[in-house]
Amino acid sequence: MNKILLVNIEKPDQKNIAKYRERGGYTALEKALAMQPADIINEVKTSGLRGRGGAGFPTGMKWGFVPTNAGKPTYLLCNADESEPGTFKDRILMERDPHLLIEGMAIACFALNCQLSYIYLRGEYEFIAHIMQRALDEAYEAGILGPSIMGKDFALDLHLHLGQGAYICGEETSLIESLEGYRGYPRIKPPFPATHGFLASPTVVNNVETLCALPWIITNGAAAHAAIGTEKSKGTKLFSVSGHVNSPGVYEVDMGYPLLDFINNEAGGIPNGRALKAVIPGGSSVPVLTAAECDGVLLDYESLLKAGSMLGSGGMIVLDDSTKMPEVLSVIADFYAHESCGQCTPCREGTGWAAKILRNLVAGKGKRADIDLLLKIADMMEGKTICPLADADVMPIRSFVTKFRSEFEALCAS
Amino acid sequence: MIQFSEEATRRFQTILSHYPEKRAALLPVLTLAQREFGWISQEVSEYLSELMGYPPSDILSVATFYTMLHKKPVGKYHMEICRNVSCWLMGTYPCVDEIKRQLKVDVGEITADGKFSWNLTECLGSCGTAPAMQVGDRYFETLTPAKIIEIIEKLANE
Amino acid sequence: MPKFTLNGVELEAKEGQTIIQAAMAAGFEIPHYCYHPDLPIDGNCRMCLVEVEKMPKLPPSCTTVVTEGMVVRSNTDRVRQSVQGVLEFLLINHPVDCPVCDQAGECRLQDYYMVYGLHTSEIPLEMKVRKRKVIDLGPMVVLDQERCVLCSRCIRFFDNVTHTGEMQFFGRGDHVAIGTFEDRPLDNPYSGNVVDICPVGALTSRDFRFKCRVWFLHSTDSVCGGCSTGCNMRIDHRDGTIFRLLPRRNVEVNRSWLCDEGRLTHHEVAAGDRILRPMMRGRDGMQAPVTWKEAVASVNSRLKEIAGINGGDAIIGFASPSATNEALFLFKRYLGEQVGATQFEFRIDSEDKKVTEEEDEILRHVDKHPNSMGAINLGLMSQELGGIDRAIESARAGRIKAGVVIYYKPLVERPGDAQAEARIAELIGALEYSVVLAAHKADWQREASVLLPVTAWSEESGTYTNYQGRVQLASKAVEPGGDILALWEVFASLLYESGDGLLWLSPDDVFASLAENTPAFRGIVLEQTRLPGALPTP
Repeated sequence: MNKILLVNIEKPDQKNIAKYRERGGYTALEKALAMQPADIINEVKTSGLRGRGGAGFPTGMKWGFVPTNAGKPTYLLCNADESEPGTFKDRILMERDPHLLIEGMAIACFALNCQLSYIYLRGEYEFIAHIMQRALDEAYEAGILGPSIMGKDFALDLHLHLGQGAYICGEETSLIESLEGYRGYPRIKPPFPATHGFLASPTVVNNVETLCALPWIITNGAAAHAAIGTEKSKGTKLFSVSGHVNSPGVYEVDMGYPLLDFINNEAGGIPNGRALKAVIPGGSSVPVLTAAECDGVLLDYESLLKAGSMLGSGGMIVLDDSTKMPEVLSVIADFYAHESCGQCTPCREGTGWAAKILRNLVAGKGKRADIDLLLKIADMMEGKTICPLADADVMPIRSFVTKFRSEFEALCAS
Repeated sequence: MIQFSEEATRRFQTILSHYPEKRAALLPVLTLAQREFGWISQEVSEYLSELMGYPPSDILSVATFYTMLHKKPVGKYHMEICRNVSCWLMGTYPCVDEIKRQLKVDVGEITADGKFSWNLTECLGSCGTAPAMQVGDRYFETLTPAKIIEIIEKLANE
Repeated sequence: MPKFTLNGVELEAKEGQTIIQAAMAAGFEIPHYCYHPDLPIDGNCRMCLVEVEKMPKLPPSCTTVVTEGMVVRSNTDRVRQSVQGVLEFLLINHPVDCPVCDQAGECRLQDYYMVYGLHTSEIPLEMKVRKRKVIDLGPMVVLDQERCVLCSRCIRFFDNVTHTGEMQFFGRGDHVAIGTFEDRPLDNPYSGNVVDICPVGALTSRDFRFKCRVWFLHSTDSVCGGCSTGCNMRIDHRDGTIFRLLPRRNVEVNRSWLCDEGRLTHHEVAAGDRILRPMMRGRDGMQAPVTWKEAVASVNSRLKEIAGINGGDAIIGFASPSATNEALFLFKRYLGEQVGATQFEFRIDSEDKKVTEEEDEILRHVDKHPNSMGAINLGLMSQELGGIDRAIESARAGRIKAGVVIYYKPLVERPGDAQAEARIAELIGALEYSVVLAAHKADWQREASVLLPVTAWSEESGTYTNYQGRVQLASKAVEPGGDILALWEVFASLLYESGDGLLWLSPDDVFASLAENTPAFRGIVLEQTRLPGALPTP
């Protein structure tokens, strides 16, 4: 198994810049600064790196959309708003290897000619903000950030910006809107952030994990990265696994690793002698898989899609056979109702309505017709909204209700 | 009329200097104001309106979007316990029951000594160490009802 | 000019137009809430989603720019289902207040439900989100948060048109509500516009509240009589009472907006006593009622007598810049050609300078008369006199002996109004023989030799010329009571009495003649004075 991201994660002093450098830190940045920005972008394209926030969009291609002659500054924004239920991988990276993120961001900024960059960190991670800020201060002191980074004629300012509690701000246009100082309402696309993002300027929003993969790619080369993983899903992926497992935590595996192996080996299997009932492989926004559906599924974008789910953020939640699926769905539905920004009709009304119906069902006050009503609400929301939050509610609703329908029906009196 | 302390004013200036446009500083400034004044009251909205040059309705509108910005006073230790999937699976609600038993207040209320209030919150990114809660800039993880009692005692004596 | 098809019909859009704009320009309805032609695009209601070939999802027609060869369909099952879905979502938390809601009859939830919905509600009452109702937002607006569909039109109005930002969203998700800071009342001279643009009954007019069901109202196209901007209006009335004034969209003049003062001018018209019949001073010095026949005959012979003895210089025609072009044209024609009067004026307080002076950056002008431009263009200014002051002087000195004075009280109050009216009173007092034409009673009118009751704004059809020189038609909405005649009719009668051969049967006839004879109206045909109004051909 390859280690790209969690190489030094167990080392307690990894946060210290001197130790970071001792272990090879910032040599990738040095190498990148001697390259041409266009070549760096090509390396990232060839590496096959895909966005690790959940969308899986090819990173190099995203960078390639940024015009170099816009006459406006380019902004690189790090999406550290990790709020997808089940996901805690970015947290580990920032908590224990903050300089890895800084190095990754500096490489990206140099490649994109961005001289003012922000880490949009979810407000709840305030304790990580302290760690991140100390690392940033160390980086400035060491000349890694500032008016001429590592002695090169390139200035880079990198600031921490804290959110204040809004899952929707993990959506890139909502993040930009929130960074601009407004309510985090997602924006209509087109135009896309690549041409009109932060302050109407070219902007790239990348996830923490994506940016942390860059130093390894620069050091070891795109080909080495592309040699890991599957045909279309290159490199490694962090999976945060929780729920009914013996060893919950964050694990790095090669793309294409079998899902059931992951649950039984890395995650330590299911405790208390219980059996696997269902898995949410990539955060609450992706369809749930029954235990049977997990057979032969690999942890990569394509295999999970083929199995009827998605890789998403890699926030895996494992459910054993004691789990009451309608109750889990009700918890999830409450989440989307609470986090819907309220801007557009189908999501605002649909998420709220679905959550209420589920609460009723779970309390034993529902009717059979409510189950079909849930599916109807899902259909009414899907594909009609400004951003995919509604779709993120649709996936669990549809998959839970269709795959575990008998449990829902059992809750109904008639 | 309320205003920022000297230290907060210095912090305010630093925040402004991080952004090419003043508006982008609004959320960090609201956060700073909450730290200074405890919550985003109408008075705070009016103060920030003067300070930043936006209508008070605008300031409050932004504040009401974000759940971490309080629109009502909260206790010195505001305990926010995650109610999302993994925490729920691992036992949020027994801990919630313990919180209610210990503090004897409901969501939206503050204990008589002003020290504690609580609420349910969404995924905190502690799914592997569930159940978890956040109190200010601290996380308390792998909670049990017994731990809840310990934590409340510890905080009460700080 | 990209060509595209909508439901199989070939259309042409202007460069940069969105599908909804091009469709509406061609007369096709695409259901929508948040789109408004005079506000920035938001795309949040999701009601206007359409099918566009090659696009996998249904894009909003308000955000999608038309490209050459685009194939759009708004009448497929997929689109119909989407529209019905959005409607159902909007209605689940909507309080069905129709029986007590002013919006009924012009409500987009009702209208679209009848066309696209007709579904049965599947949400029980207890599950509906409840919000606050009947919030007083000041003299013009009442807010009901529960009825709101969160289209953000009101927010965009205050952010982008008045730049004051009073209304905002508060909260998140399905608990979002619009409102002002601390429920503070709207202290904004344009606040009434949000009532117009609110597609539902969330923002309603305090002035119109509960007064009349909209389906009983008749609508008449008009122009505001409040100032020289000449905002296009619609008068909604029933049985002779005006219930409300609404804007008509004119991109050249007022877009979709009215100011609050203009919106309430019908109250000014209705306030105060009206002069109901012609009055003439008898030998005993007291005014007594007479018939029109008597009044017209007397006035005509008296004026000609004075002109005969003292010359045309001794007679002044003092017009009102609130009178219509038609009335002013006949006024000048009668006094100038039949009586031989040579002195004409209308200015009390530099109206000719104020007419183009802006009072704010949005709509209002300083000159609170709708037709100062018309008065100027019809030659009712005297270089010699320069205004009412020297007219009064001349009258006191005996150089001017008689006068025909039109006076309308301004419909929008400003400090200085009382002094202006006092100058008119002084002029009347200084004249030996005065004929006053007015609508509303005032004490100084008792000094007049003859007092003739005329129509007020909305009671006669006619055109006004606004500050741009644009000639706009205001149609008659209500009948005057008593023995009141339209101002133009009085002079038509005098002309007839005096032997001028022409017979004018309607203000339309007058306009045709006016346009022929007046350079500033050259080339304008009456039809052109409807939307968007007519500028003279150079």
